[in-house]
Amino acid sequence: MSPDLLLALFTGAALFGVGIYGALSQTNLVMIMMGVELILAGALVNLVAFWRFLHPHSYAGQMFVLIVMTVMALEMAVGFGVAIARFRARGSVEMEEATELQG
Amino acid sequence: MALISLQTVFIAFFGIAAIGFGIWVFRTSSMMRSALALLFSQTALGAMFLAMQAEFLGVLQIMMMATEMSIMAIFMVMFMMDPGGLGAMEMSHQKRLSILAGVAGALATAGIALFTQWGVVVTSAPAAAEQTRALGTELLGRSMLIFETAGVTILTAMIAATAVALPTLQRKRNA
Repeated sequence: MSPDLLLALFTGAALFGVGIYGALSQTNLVMIMMGVELILAGALVNLVAFWRFLHPHSYAGQMFVLIVMTVMALEMAVGFGVAIARFRARGSVEMEEATELQG
Repeated sequence: MALISLQTVFIAFFGIAAIGFGIWVFRTSSMMRSALALLFSQTALGAMFLAMQAEFLGVLQIMMMATEMSIMAIFMVMFMMDPGGLGAMEMSHQKRLSILAGVAGALATAGIALFTQWGVVVTSAPAAAEQTRALGTELLGRSMLIFETAGVTILTAMIAATAVALPTLQRKRNA
């Protein structure tokens, strides 16, 4: 297998792992969003690597990258909307204080 | 052959930089520094895309993430307890479980990457101008409906984010 493809996929795997750690371990809403961003960044690397090393003449792969980038931007926009609402209501974006969200 | 090895070196270098800055996001106890670390991580990823000859996507990634992380840094300062956002804070919980989940996730995906037969690897990619032209044709041709769906989704998210962030009438009355 190509070392370049393997390197890119390992980078994606590592970013995915770091993102999972961040999303689970952080108590602040904005920091949790950063974890999700890293998970999506891991997906981005994989998609670009698949396009480049497996199907460089099929541009559906690049199209998929654009969609994931859109999802990253939307996650930020809606997340900050929620954060502002939470900050207005409670004066904090600490998720440990959001006990009313428990089922 | 020399070009391929140079490409490998750059992919490895920017990949390690992206992971290192990604880890730094959660190692620092200042949210402002976290935002900057995430910016560097995403920029390293953009550089990695450039090293993989995906020129348009690389430049797009760097431009988009620079804007996105700058906005994130502003929000960080707004939501911080200390102005300036450089004070040390403890912002984590259930660390052991999170580390376990992160390592398990990374190992599982790395295992899939290692043990899957990916097929024939193509060594050359189309030139940058050809890529951009072909992507434009793809966006306005076969993938147009998906691209339009992304546009509508962005509009919906903008309206939703604004609606959520606006103070409610009840809260205004209470104020």
